[in-house]
Amino acid sequence: MITEVLWWIVAAGVVGASAGVVLSRSVVHAAIFLILSLAGVGAIYLFLTVEFIALVQFLIYGGAVTVLILLALMLTRMGASGRPEPLTGAQAPFGALVAAALMATLIGVAVATAWPGDLGGSPTAISIERIGAALFQNYGAPFIIMAALLLVAFVGAIVIARQEDGD
Amino acid sequence: MAEHAWILAAVPAIAFLALAALGRRLPRQGDFLAVLAAASGFGLFFAVLASFLGRGEGAWPVLNAIEWTAIGDFRLNMGIAVDQITIVMLAVVTTVAFMVNVFSVGYMKGEPRYWWYFAVLQLFVASMLLLVLADNLLLLYVAWELVGLSSFLLIGHYWERRSAVEAAKKAFITTRVGDVGLLIGIILLWKATGTFNILDIIHAVEAGEVGGTGLFVSVMFIFLGAMGKSAQLPFHVWLPDAMEGPTPVSALIHAATMVVAGVYLVARLLPVFEAAGDALLVVTAVGLITALFSGVVAFAQTDIKKVLAYSTVSQLGFMFVALGAGVVSAGMFHLFTHAFFKALLFLGAGSVILGAHHRQEVGQLGGLWRRMPVTAAAFLVGSLALAGLFPLAGFWSKDEILHAVEGHRGALVFALISLASIMTAFYTTRLFILTFLGKPRDAEAGHARETGASMTGPLVFLAVLSVFAGFVVYGGVGEALGFPGGFGEFVYLHHPETFHIDWGLAGVSTALFVIGVFGAGWLYRGGRLDRAAALTAWQPKLYEMTRRKFYFDDLYQFLIDRVVLGFSYVVSWFDRFAVNDTGVDGSATLTGYAGFLLKHLQTGRVPNYALAIAAGVAALILVALAAGG
Amino acid sequence: MVPLENYLVLSAILFALGVYGVLSRRNAVLVLMSVELMLNAVSLNFVAFAAHLDPDRATGIVFAVFVIAVAAAEVGLALAIVIRLFRNRSSANVDEAATLRW
Repeated sequence: MITEVLWWIVAAGVVGASAGVVLSRSVVHAAIFLILSLAGVGAIYLFLTVEFIALVQFLIYGGAVTVLILLALMLTRMGASGRPEPLTGAQAPFGALVAAALMATLIGVAVATAWPGDLGGSPTAISIERIGAALFQNYGAPFIIMAALLLVAFVGAIVIARQEDGD
Repeated sequence: MAEHAWILAAVPAIAFLALAALGRRLPRQGDFLAVLAAASGFGLFFAVLASFLGRGEGAWPVLNAIEWTAIGDFRLNMGIAVDQITIVMLAVVTTVAFMVNVFSVGYMKGEPRYWWYFAVLQLFVASMLLLVLADNLLLLYVAWELVGLSSFLLIGHYWERRSAVEAAKKAFITTRVGDVGLLIGIILLWKATGTFNILDIIHAVEAGEVGGTGLFVSVMFIFLGAMGKSAQLPFHVWLPDAMEGPTPVSALIHAATMVVAGVYLVARLLPVFEAAGDALLVVTAVGLITALFSGVVAFAQTDIKKVLAYSTVSQLGFMFVALGAGVVSAGMFHLFTHAFFKALLFLGAGSVILGAHHRQEVGQLGGLWRRMPVTAAAFLVGSLALAGLFPLAGFWSKDEILHAVEGHRGALVFALISLASIMTAFYTTRLFILTFLGKPRDAEAGHARETGASMTGPLVFLAVLSVFAGFVVYGGVGEALGFPGGFGEFVYLHHPETFHIDWGLAGVSTALFVIGVFGAGWLYRGGRLDRAAALTAWQPKLYEMTRRKFYFDDLYQFLIDRVVLGFSYVVSWFDRFAVNDTGVDGSATLTGYAGFLLKHLQTGRVPNYALAIAAGVAALILVALAAGG
Repeated sequence: MVPLENYLVLSAILFALGVYGVLSRRNAVLVLMSVELMLNAVSLNFVAFAAHLDPDRATGIVFAVFVIAVAAAEVGLALAIVIRLFRNRSSANVDEAATLRW
């Protein structure tokens, strides 16, 4: 019982923070809302009893990714002279319409489908040993490829963002 | 070994690949590879022969095939068949190829693209051997085109010379007309019998499964291919022009091997021709007309190689006459002996051309007897063999042809072929006298020098063959060599024929020889041209007509200029205006204009595109849900 | 006792908010943040499915790990591009990058 109440509170927090990300009038506020939202999703993972993913979520998203985004915000701030520009474009109403349509269909599908193998009960705990086995045995090759992808991406990022002569 | 005769073709094929890839970088540009391949082919032939003869008499042809592809019920097998005719062809091709390769080492020395010349020569030998080994018409057709290609490449070897390019093109296109006929014939035969295999087709025809007009038509199409390759009237025009190629090539391809592919094809399919109504009559007629026509044209040619070229056309006509009489042994025998003495004559001509510093007009030569004794002696042997002197090779084969014609075609054909025989003796004598006797009519000819051993060697070898090759017609000689008997007991269609010399016929044959030789000898006595000049002055129009080859080339040129080019002009107009301007450019213009109109839909702003994509995804999901329930 | 559907609905809402953000925000960094929201929605789906339907193989968990890794790579690259864009145009607004037109 207490779990459910807590879940609803966290879920409402996640939705609220996400709405803050896309609606906030200040980029810094949006970034703070994003941290909240990502942390909230991490908390949701705890309800699903996968502590490993929750941990990854907190560390990588809550930490590294947000720091990157904040840095980018800092680097791309307009000079103090210009008046604050509107953060939302002219096509926002249409975007809202499309997003609403997508949400409606997704929710409809999620609720209407009878998921195979769903016992309707609480989630089964997945131990970290199992995840490790899956990651390094069943999905060993993709894991290595993923590592290479990360390396390549970061080298690429450095090359693209580097200050060149004449810039 | 006989069932692995494909090795004979594989060896030069490998040599071709090696020479084409590496020839330029090898020492001596790799000519030793070519000679080695030709020599091993010559040696391997005897292994095949021994294995073939070792199977005893009356055995079936040696077959060896693999399944190439299966389409539904139809199975296409590719393989080789070695029978008596193939053995004769293998003997001719490997021997002459060996000799020509050796000769070329000396003749082509210092010429441009030396390595490429030898590479293509090997390609030709490989294709020619594949052609004679093929057990089905499809593989034969592939080889048929391959020899055509090598011939094209070799005729055009000196492609810096415009005339060589033109000659190569002419040979390729003229034979292609016949080749299309051959392909149609092969397809028609396949449609009638359901197989490409030559033996199966023959069995089907002998069993009477096919016949009538359909068979006659398909056989005529096949004969069209044979006429094209063997330069029979009216496809003969390419062969004299093909003399633009290096002379050893003329000896190998345009005298001994490729041009007899047509004869080989008809000999191979002779049972089919026999069953196809009057097909053999057509073969005789074409051969006879060609033999007479080119014999006459050869009188008036002044280029030493062109005389030999027309002589070749004429002799091919003889072979077709023999086949048309239904006597395969006579045709194949003449093919066999002719290959040796005509290759000898061509190589001799090559030696003359090289020795006399590229003088090849008989009007500029003369008196070479003293300066080039070996070449002259060999050339004399070749000439006499061609003219039919007893007992040289040409006598026996010509005798066989006369015998066949007398027995199967009657007096008129016999008389005409005798006339062609006289012509042969006449122009051969004329050529020899003008080239080797009398006094040199040109300073370069006066300074001629005998050529080196790599050229005189093959000449001597071929001269020996030209003297003795004819004796295999005798049963005793054949048996001594391990054959079941004489030529007629080895190569035959229905029954082996033991050779008995017919002294009456031999007398006629010798009389024909004497008439021709002495006629020419009187006209050109002492190697002088004044009597002949007086003769041409007496009938200038007739002479001009002969010299211009009865205007065949002019007629073709006219037809091409007026008919082909006229039609091409119309087609080109249609292509340019209807297809290109309206269709191709029109559609492109339409697309461009539509794009010009539609580009105003674009904003270039990324978020707009993102919105469109998202809306599209949403719409697709909705459609999928609605459709899937 | 929180049923699977709750997670899916939450994920759908997150995803739709992310889509709205991508479509409506002008600042490129904010667009990226919205993309992160969408990716999170996807991860959430994977993990929820894995925990409820396929606990034995844990495939969904592995996918979630991969999604997080790809997201990290994507953020790194995308921010580099944004910085580059800002340097060239003195603006990080996506609707001002209009050179895709003719």
